Amino acid sequence: MSQYWDVLVVDDEPVVRDAVRLILREAGLSVAAAEDAESALAHAALATCRLVICDMMLPGLSGLEAVRAFRRQRPALPIVLITGYATAGTEAQSADAGATAFLAKPFDDTELLTLVRHALEPTDVAGKKGRP
Amino acid sequence: MRLRIGVLAILGVAAVTALVLGLTSVLVVRTHRAALLAQLTRSADQLSETIGRSTYYDMLENRRPALHREIVTIGQQKGIDKVRLFNAVGTIMFSSDEAEIGRSLDRQAEACNACHAAGQPLHKLSPRARARIYQAPDGHRVLGMIRPIHNEASCWNAACHAHAPGETVLGVLDVNLSLAEADREVAADQRHLALFALLAIAASSLLLWWLSDRLVLHPVAALIAGTRRVAEGDLHTTIPDAAPNELGDLARAFNDMTRRLSDAQRQLTQADKLASVGRLAAGIAHEINNPLTGVLSYASLLLKRPEIDAETKQDLQVIVRETKRCREIVRGLLDFARQTPPRRQPTDLNEVVRHGVAIVMNQLALDRVALDFDLAADLGPVPADGNQIQQVVVNLLINAADAIDGDGHGTIHVRTRAVSAPARGHAVVRNATCPKGCELQDPHVRIAGQPGIRVMRIVGARESIVHLDPVYGRLHHRDTGAGEEGVVPSYTCPDCRARLEVAERRCEACGTPAFAVRAGELGSIEWCPRQGCTWTRWETMDARGPESFAELIVEDTGRGIRTEDLDHLFEPFFTTKGSRGSGLGLAVTWGIVEGHGGSIDVESSVGEGARFTVRLPCARPPVVEATAPVIPDAVRSPSLSDPARGAA
Repeated sequence: MSQYWDVLVVDDEPVVRDAVRLILREAGLSVAAAEDAESALAHAALATCRLVICDMMLPGLSGLEAVRAFRRQRPALPIVLITGYATAGTEAQSADAGATAFLAKPFDDTELLTLVRHALEPTDVAGKKGRP
Repeated sequence: MRLRIGVLAILGVAAVTALVLGLTSVLVVRTHRAALLAQLTRSADQLSETIGRSTYYDMLENRRPALHREIVTIGQQKGIDKVRLFNAVGTIMFSSDEAEIGRSLDRQAEACNACHAAGQPLHKLSPRARARIYQAPDGHRVLGMIRPIHNEASCWNAACHAHAPGETVLGVLDVNLSLAEADREVAADQRHLALFALLAIAASSLLLWWLSDRLVLHPVAALIAGTRRVAEGDLHTTIPDAAPNELGDLARAFNDMTRRLSDAQRQLTQADKLASVGRLAAGIAHEINNPLTGVLSYASLLLKRPEIDAETKQDLQVIVRETKRCREIVRGLLDFARQTPPRRQPTDLNEVVRHGVAIVMNQLALDRVALDFDLAADLGPVPADGNQIQQVVVNLLINAADAIDGDGHGTIHVRTRAVSAPARGHAVVRNATCPKGCELQDPHVRIAGQPGIRVMRIVGARESIVHLDPVYGRLHHRDTGAGEEGVVPSYTCPDCRARLEVAERRCEACGTPAFAVRAGELGSIEWCPRQGCTWTRWETMDARGPESFAELIVEDTGRGIRTEDLDHLFEPFFTTKGSRGSGLGLAVTWGIVEGHGGSIDVESSVGEGARFTVRLPCARPPVVEATAPVIPDAVRSPSLSDPARGAA
């Protein structure tokens, strides 16, 4: 049986993975999680998900490198980068690498959901979004 | 043994003086003695000649008693020791010393010595050779002069027939003069000369000691002490450098060196501190933001649960609020570490002030500080970054509250007002350069918070660094060397030495050629170089006419700020609060105001509180344009302007 996920979240911090998963589940999105870029690239969810949320500072491949790798597999996939340390050039870097949006940690549910909905909007055809 | 330079110089000069004076004295005494002796010798010769002639007839006529009387009489004269006549075989025939008459002299006796030792006929000897000096039995010296009495025809033809024609020398007249007087005179001379030499040595040594102490030892001692202090790490050491000589040059070079060292050290320390705070901020951001994400997410999710009761909901709201506060603290640190440019929008300064006050209200209530508002109703919108200006308000209020000791008597007055002011008195030169483009603005020497304009002042051969007040028209220059009223120094760039005088511009007050620095596209600002003249002109700014500002004044009745602290107030990590302060609050405040093209002024006297005046330009477009925000607007929290937080 093949499983379907709406979002793939990549972060080495369990608390961040769990928080993102919880917020998105409450919003009715199914969430897969990976703790680094390598396992995310190997994850079945990457092939079918509608959004990737990826930390910038990962062990192994960095978040920026991971974005490029994701893009090679899914050129049109929306990718949101999250980081706990944003510098003046970070957003430009993430845009250069091909990220769709950028979010600074820590965030609350509203901030995350606003961004996720915004990112999903253009590609949203199935109408999954907006589920109560 | 270690001898001081002064002692060595004194010993050297004393030795040379002693040698020169000693040699001169010896020479003088010798010459004097020789002259005296020559004179005495001539006198003795003359005397013996006189005696010879006056006794001639007595001898010829063989009048012995008369001869005897004459010799005794002459011998009694002062200065004459003895006069005597002895015959050819050495028997004393006549003498003023009657006791020796009849005695025979040995040929070895000093009276015979001249001829008989020399083996020459007596009559051929010079007066000097016929003279001899010997010591009398009582110790005094005696000059003896012998004179031969030759046989002549009258002698052997005389009635007495006492002498045969074959005899050559019939006898010798020996006159002895005492040298006691002359010797006393020479000895007195010697004593005078020695005394004079000693006085000369003492006087020259004293003069040398005074000169070396005043001109060399004192400055050198100051230099050594200064060097030691620098070696011990005190780079604020200065030594007196007023002496118009090489040691003064050395002292000035030394002061310049320590000042540069101190600047370099301060820059290094500053860079090091900034790098540390940057690393610290990055570390904190990375380590704390992940757990904060968890806290914020779970708390905000829990808040949405319908089943929670009102009390729990309130508690959860506290958690969310406080977590967001933590986020702002971390963000503030990051902001400081990377100095975010302002994102300006038309902003109601009064509204920002109200929010800021709401944020610090709790703290003020705890400290029992009274707060007093006077917000201008006619204040138009100010192009400003509301979040950043709110941080300014909060920082100034916290600062004011900290300055009040919390005894219940302190008051903070917060005022806003619209002002229209000419450039003179508030416009700040921010990017001063010399004609060749060297940076003159010195962030390390601030005048009431603003980086001074560093120039080199030259008066004659003296050079000193002056920091000109960057506030147009204020003239609170920072001057290390004392200027003299009325003197006209010249000013140059301290780096490339380009002259700052402007040939075609003259002071409108006294006509002295003005000097100027460039202020980028804002033209040049000019000053009169004459000490004491207060003329200054910034044409570009004057031409703009009065500008509109929104002014925020935060005034407290706290303990005030010491004058020496005023200049450092806005430096990062400068704090008067000890461990309670980070030293970042006013530095961030200054950075924000500066980023808005505004100015911030402090007036304070110890014990009477302080007044911070922030002026934000109303109309003029921003000097620093906002760049792309780091965090998208949609997700960036409203941070300090969050009314929910403000109400807390």
